[in-house]
Amino acid sequence: MDIPSSLAIVALAALIHASFQLSISVLTLLSGHAIGAKRSQAKVLRLSWGFIAGVGVMTLLLLSFISLLLLHMFGPIEVPLVVWAMACGLVFGIGIAVWLFYYRKEKGTKLWIPRLFADHLTSRSKATKHSAEAFSLGLTSVIGELIFVIPSMLVSALVLLQLPSEWQLIGIALYVLISLLGLLIVVSLIGSGHSLSKIQKWREDNKGFLQFAAGSALVALGFFVYISKVVAEVSGAI
Amino acid sequence: MHAGGVIHIVKRHRYGQHHSEQFDTEKMHKSLVAACLSSGVPEGHAESIGRRITEDVVEWLQDKPEVTSDDLRRTATQYLRTHHPDAAYLYEHHRSTL
Repeated sequence: MDIPSSLAIVALAALIHASFQLSISVLTLLSGHAIGAKRSQAKVLRLSWGFIAGVGVMTLLLLSFISLLLLHMFGPIEVPLVVWAMACGLVFGIGIAVWLFYYRKEKGTKLWIPRLFADHLTSRSKATKHSAEAFSLGLTSVIGELIFVIPSMLVSALVLLQLPSEWQLIGIALYVLISLLGLLIVVSLIGSGHSLSKIQKWREDNKGFLQFAAGSALVALGFFVYISKVVAEVSGAI
Repeated sequence: MHAGGVIHIVKRHRYGQHHSEQFDTEKMHKSLVAACLSSGVPEGHAESIGRRITEDVVEWLQDKPEVTSDDLRRTATQYLRTHHPDAAYLYEHHRSTL
C-alpha cells in the first residue's frame, strides 16, 4: 500500500471515529450544565477545550498503544495476513452492530453503552467545574465508546505500521485531528452563540442518518481494506 | 397545597427501587432557569420564566400529596412549552442525552 492510500485509509477511519456520538453527548451536557450554572462564556469554552484536549490525548494514547502492541507482537516484519483479515472481520462486524444497536430505540440520543457508565458520565459532567476535571472527563468518555472505536483504531494502527517512521507520526496526528472534528464543530457552534437545544434537536432528528452513515462507513472500510490488502496480496502470490 | 402541606416526589431508580424526597421549589426553579439559559434566553427573562413556571407547578401540586418525578417533569415541560419551546425540549430530554 502506498503512502497516499495508507493516509486515506487512516483519514477515513478517523472520520468514522469522529461520527461516534458519546463524546459529543458528554460535551453537550458539560456545556449545558456550565451555561445553566451561569458561568461566563469564556469559562464554558475553557471547560469545552479542556474536554476536547482530554479526548484528543486519550485517542492519541490508545492509537499509540495499539500500534506498539502490534509492533511487539509481530516485530518489524510484515503483519501476517490473517491478522489483517481478522481486523477486517472486526470492522465489518462492528459496522453491522452499529447499524442495529448504536442508538437506543427511544426518544433522545441515548446510546448502547452500559447504563452505569452513562450515569457516571452524566453526573461527572454536572460536577465538573475546572478545566482539569473536564480534561479527565474527556479521557474517560473515549473509554466509554471503546467498543465502537477500536475497529477503526486497529485498522489505522495496522496501516500506520507499514509506513516510514516520519509518516507514522503524521498519520497518528492526522487520525487524532480528524477524530476530533465533531467536537470541534460543536464547540465552535457553542462559541458562536448557537443554543444547545438547537444542537441537541439536530442530533436527535438526524440520529438515524448518523447511525446508518457510521455503520455503512465501517462496512465499507472493512471491505476496502480486505480487498486492497488481503485479496490483493493473496492473488498476487498465486 | 394539600392538607399536610408537604409534597413528596417519588423518584424511580434503576432495578425498580424508589425513594421519595420533599418537593423543592428552589431546585425546580434552578433547573428551569438552566434549561432556558442553555436555549439562549437572556438571564433576566430566564429567571422570570423559571419563577412563573414554578408557581404554575406549585398550583398544580395543590391537591397532590405525592407525585412521581416523571409527572413533575412532564407537567413543567407542558407549562414551559408555552413560554419557550426550545427550552422545554431541553428540559424534557435532559436525561435522554447520553
